[in-house]
Amino acid sequence: MRKVMLIVCACACAGVVAVAGLASAADDLAQAVKERRALMDDVVRPAAKLGGDMIKGKIPFDADKAAAAMLEISDVPETYVTLFPAGSEADAVPDSEASPKIWEDFEGFKELAQKLEETSTAAAAAAEQGAGPFKAAFGEMTQMCKKCHKAYRVKKD
Amino acid sequence: MRRAFLVILALVAAGAMAFYLLTMPVTVPASALPEHAPDLANGKLMFTAAGCAECHAAPAGACDDLDIKDETVLVGGRCLKSDFGTFHVPNISPDKDTGIGNWTTLDFVNAMKRGIAPGGVHLYPAFPYTSYQRMTYEDLIDLKAYLDTLPAVNHTAPAHALRFPYNIRRGLGLFQRLYVDGKSFTPDPKASDAVNRGAYLVLAPGHCTECHSPRTAFGGIIASKAFAGAKSPDGDGTVPNITPSADGIGDWSADDIAYLLETGNTPDFDVIGETMVPVQENMAKLDPEDREAIATFLKSLPPRPNAVQKSKAKDKSKATGDEADN
Repeated sequence: MRKVMLIVCACACAGVVAVAGLASAADDLAQAVKERRALMDDVVRPAAKLGGDMIKGKIPFDADKAAAAMLEISDVPETYVTLFPAGSEADAVPDSEASPKIWEDFEGFKELAQKLEETSTAAAAAAEQGAGPFKAAFGEMTQMCKKCHKAYRVKKD
Repeated sequence: MRRAFLVILALVAAGAMAFYLLTMPVTVPASALPEHAPDLANGKLMFTAAGCAECHAAPAGACDDLDIKDETVLVGGRCLKSDFGTFHVPNISPDKDTGIGNWTTLDFVNAMKRGIAPGGVHLYPAFPYTSYQRMTYEDLIDLKAYLDTLPAVNHTAPAHALRFPYNIRRGLGLFQRLYVDGKSFTPDPKASDAVNRGAYLVLAPGHCTECHSPRTAFGGIIASKAFAGAKSPDGDGTVPNITPSADGIGDWSADDIAYLLETGNTPDFDVIGETMVPVQENMAKLDPEDREAIATFLKSLPPRPNAVQKSKAKDKSKATGDEADN
């Protein structure tokens, strides 16, 4: 009888641990999605908007500010690609917009992230050369945004 | 009893007769075509503005893959899923057997302005002749001449797979009676040249109205809500409001709109997605002046509230309140 009790107890404990493990795995996925979206929404987009507003003439071109913004972007990709744990695709985590293609071709995904780092670094250097070169280099960089989103993002409305 | 039967028979016959008459194909006469030497450069511009390849070029992958293989090879094969069933886009390459190589310019004009193919065949408005009908005869003649220069490929696309009653082509005559009159765009003499050029590009070849406006139960555009957003044609998610209202793009400048059409970036640097990508990539090939004209026209539209509620496409139950435009 006592042995049975112990076995039941052990099973129950194992169950609790397993459930807790699952729950924390789901939390980890949600956390990764939150962090990677924050990098895009709070770092990349505001920095790109600053550059874009200069190009459209909404605000005056300022070489130092433009360069600083582009360098902020160039810091993102290396961390960004580490925030895509398996199972964090769009259909699995509510706020995720990640296409399953990321995991089918992770090298291709990393390559585009690398290109974003290169083109944003180049845009920072171009800003020091003046508004014209910055505009061209900025355009090259935004092509990477588009290319990557087109290939690897599922847009939810 | 016998009299009642005769009355019913007469009513059915009258109904059938009315249906037959109301759905008669209406076509443009040859006399409507102006004398015009085709301008291939303008034909190519119309081809780009009208986005012909977005649907008629073969998809790069599966039939619903938005990427295309080669924009000059218009063999069809793309599938468009809709509430009515699945449309399979036909071959419009100049192949004589399986494409439109045997069509005259008048045949082509009737397809574009009346939704009628040779032989009086009603075309489904998934082919957006409701917008193309506003194109000028000259632009249509140029476009036909340009299409004739593209490679002819022998390939038969699958037949449409539509639900009853939408599978009865003849019924489209009723739709056409309501929404097709074949009248070319007429510029507004009070508006600027830019607004008129933009209006033409948006309303006629660009067929922006088709996705960005809500429809009636009969499938027509609700004019009072044009451009105020709509349910996605494939049923998944919504298409945004592009009128200058608080719900729409009221806080975008004309430059912001032109920049989006050139690059795919919104003013706050989100990147457009899904079916707008191939559209934007065509818009990027236009002259900057044409993109600016489109922007100027969109800014001149009456501001309208959203015609449909935005919904998160795939996670309706779990959606948090902060997704806004992301």
